[in-house]
Amino acid sequence: MTDAISVVEEAAPRQEAAGVRAMRGLARRPTAVLGAIGVAVILVAAVFAPIIASFEPSSQDLAQSLRPPVWDGGDVDHLLGTDALGRDVASRLLFGARNSLMISLGAMLLGSLLGLATGLAAGFFGGRVDSLLMRLGDIQLAFPFILLAIAILGTLADRNVGHMILVLGIPGWIVYARVVRSRVLSEKEKEYVLAARSVGASGMRRLRRYVLPSVWQVVPVIALLDVGFLIITESTLSFLGLGLPPPAASWGLMLAEGRKNMLISPWLSILPGLAILVTVLSINLVGDGLADVLDPRLRKGTFRRRLLRGPVPQPVGAERALLSVRDLSVEFPMGRRVIKAVRHVDFDVRRGETLGVVGESGSGKSVTALSIIQLLDAPGRVTSGQIIFDGRDLARIPDREIREMRGSRIGMIFQNPAASLNPVLSIGHQMAEAMTRLDSLEDGDVGAASRRALRSVGIGDPERILRQYPFQLSGGMNQRVMIAIAMAAKPDLLIADEPTTALDVTTQAQILDELREITTRQDTSLILITHDIALVAERADTILVMYAGQVAECGPASRVVSEPGHPYTRALLDSVPRADIESGVKLQAISGELPDPATVPPGCPFAPRCPEVMEICQRVNPPSFTVAADHWAACHLWAPQEAEVSA
Amino acid sequence: MTRPLLEVDDLHKHFDVRSSRFSRKSKQVRAVDGVSFTMTEGETLGLVGESGCGKSTLARTVLFLEAPTSGEIRFQGQTLSEPDLTQLRRGAQMIFQDPYSSLPPRMQVSKIINDPLLIHHVVPEDEMEDRVNALLVAVGLSPDLGSALPHELSGGQRQRVGIARALAVEPSLVVADEAVSSLDVSVQAQILNLLKELQEERGLAYLFISHDLGVVKYMSHRIAVMYLGEIVELAFTHDLHERALHPYTRALMSAVPSIHRRGGTRIHLEGEPPDPSEPPSGCTFHPRCPMAQPICRVKKPELDEWLPGRVAACHFALSTTDDLPPKIEAEP
Repeated sequence: MTDAISVVEEAAPRQEAAGVRAMRGLARRPTAVLGAIGVAVILVAAVFAPIIASFEPSSQDLAQSLRPPVWDGGDVDHLLGTDALGRDVASRLLFGARNSLMISLGAMLLGSLLGLATGLAAGFFGGRVDSLLMRLGDIQLAFPFILLAIAILGTLADRNVGHMILVLGIPGWIVYARVVRSRVLSEKEKEYVLAARSVGASGMRRLRRYVLPSVWQVVPVIALLDVGFLIITESTLSFLGLGLPPPAASWGLMLAEGRKNMLISPWLSILPGLAILVTVLSINLVGDGLADVLDPRLRKGTFRRRLLRGPVPQPVGAERALLSVRDLSVEFPMGRRVIKAVRHVDFDVRRGETLGVVGESGSGKSVTALSIIQLLDAPGRVTSGQIIFDGRDLARIPDREIREMRGSRIGMIFQNPAASLNPVLSIGHQMAEAMTRLDSLEDGDVGAASRRALRSVGIGDPERILRQYPFQLSGGMNQRVMIAIAMAAKPDLLIADEPTTALDVTTQAQILDELREITTRQDTSLILITHDIALVAERADTILVMYAGQVAECGPASRVVSEPGHPYTRALLDSVPRADIESGVKLQAISGELPDPATVPPGCPFAPRCPEVMEICQRVNPPSFTVAADHWAACHLWAPQEAEVSA
Repeated sequence: MTRPLLEVDDLHKHFDVRSSRFSRKSKQVRAVDGVSFTMTEGETLGLVGESGCGKSTLARTVLFLEAPTSGEIRFQGQTLSEPDLTQLRRGAQMIFQDPYSSLPPRMQVSKIINDPLLIHHVVPEDEMEDRVNALLVAVGLSPDLGSALPHELSGGQRQRVGIARALAVEPSLVVADEAVSSLDVSVQAQILNLLKELQEERGLAYLFISHDLGVVKYMSHRIAVMYLGEIVELAFTHDLHERALHPYTRALMSAVPSIHRRGGTRIHLEGEPPDPSEPPSGCTFHPRCPMAQPICRVKKPELDEWLPGRVAACHFALSTTDDLPPKIEAEP
């Protein structure tokens, strides 16, 4: 599971300025593009109003009063008609846009800067500063903002743009301050801020150089939504006669004046109303698009299984095996790139056998496991191969059948048991739910079955555990509960993906002992996935070493660790500091880095790091060669001398 | 005997934890409960223990990133107290576990390494660039990476940047808290070897903290084993490998997976680490100890010297399970 995610994350396009990426993301959304066009048109209108407008917004011509728009019998001089005082509606709308945007943008700037400053202070300094600022904010939010604005503006006889900006802008701070504060609170706990402290950076320096660059990005997103709100508020106040005083052009004022002549000339109210609607809608469309782009969680699709529909390969001779995986490939299409997470993987699991799968991040070990139970994270899909489980190809059976197999015939446990359990339901509740699904529940006593299941994983007092909630239990105990649930169905195969990685070594030893005991007792096959080769050396019958989505080596556990066939396995064994031997020997580190899963070199994926690299390794990706009985390695060192290797 | 670099004397760090949101009663968690040790220059002291044993809190308290509840810390002979920590801030640095969160996400690599130089005015402005490049090379990175942002680097590269930042002010002590735990094994060995090389070149002392006994053994001259806020055993690595005195150390050593032991003997610990806010009476390890005796339930063992240079906090440090009567039954 973690592997799949890390693969996806690593696949993020390499370094492109965040701004460029956001623009490109926006350009892919038609609604956002539409909004951006709307915003651009209105901005141009507002900025160039004095040039575009053919009349002064307040020049009256009573002879021309109440002319209809051009499509309603008016003339070309006044495209959108005139109002009761004979002023040109088109010109007034343009200047109205100017005033409206000036006020709302000014207010937004004022509010966001104020909010950013107070949010930073409250979050970073905490304590009294925080309490004071946040209580002030609470009071302000409790007080009806529009009434306050009306009260203040009502006392001002001569209102100008500056007054409007102050009255509309200052109360906006709290919206920004709250979000900025919560971001600061989470950022300042991060290790890089602690690191800055340990090098002696002062409080102000940490705030300015370390925290601020990581938090300010939330401001533009709120600001964009805020502007829409401010435009409406400004229009409302103008409509009530509390905006800019007449004869200034303002959409709200035009709406109010038009209302008086509603029956004679409805366009006088409809046009400013449309102007407000189009402006706010455009801004919100851009804002929504931006929020989508900046928060990738919203765009990642949900899980959807895809049946493999390709031609069925020749059946494989898998008479002994419970699970036979042949030529399995899994891909994650990421935009224009395709991450080949698993490539042509073959392996067998016999009944009752423990297969240990070892690999580092990006090796494809977890993706392989998830593809067996057909639970790949979106957008992953099996692109070729067969997953023959007890005679059925899991990559090709319908959803209903694979659902029935999950949990009952194939169980799975993950690294983080607390995340697999529901935090708000007691263990007893969750176990009961799992037990009632069992066909084997003879006496129908769910409680007894739950207790039996917990005892089977070495829990001495099941009653107490059943009453508790996952957060009350340790990680080890939660993992036992998961194992108990998984094993209660008596599955034929249990897949354990890093089941003890998050646990302490002493707990790990206990859990693995219990896991071995219960799988042996129930004759369950176990696929044990881990990054720790020593762990599988101790626990597994067969070891499968994976590297860069491929099988590097597969063989009996004792042979793989004592006579590894693949240079990668050998390097892995040499590079792990061991607790069981005396130190003094320098570790043989593997040079270089793990390969990028998106760029697969033509030859052997380990070639760039391999100490025994040959010329052929750069060109030809080696197939599995036999090292000994039941022992294979995908390395040219084992190529039969006489056989010709075809590219 | 080289002069002591760091002396920690009876250090305590307690946290108040409110038992519930609405209650005024608070429980005290003794994360670090009376720890004393001394480190000399150029030495690596390994600190091993399981999660919740207080090893990370100890690291942060030693560096005064958290103020100690009580006890004394002397660094280069000077007793530390707030607010004057300049000597410590320059002479002691830290390397963190998570190479993803320990670097500021929007700061260029060269700026990250440069900032400590600016703070402490280590070198004149015009030499800073050369200094940063030299540090990058010292940790095995190309100076070209100076203009990169952290998210463009791999985990191993980021950890190297973190090391370069720590080395910028030429410290004499580096506290490494799980510095390689989140790295892939093939990269982990590179970083461990780098740390060893840097120690030889620069005479650094490391307080090397890890849950991984193998890593700690590889890195350390001496090893301290922590359990529930206390050091229960402290020994030279070789001695510890030959014979561990504390039963917890033995259990820890036998729990680590080994390439050579298949189905071999393993000391089984019962139960789970206790709640640090309600530590057991007497020896805090007694409920899980395979050789606990009646005295262990009532009397807390001191960290005594049982063999020359070997200290352990156990009443029966020189005994084995076979020497002692069977374990006492847990109280009903």
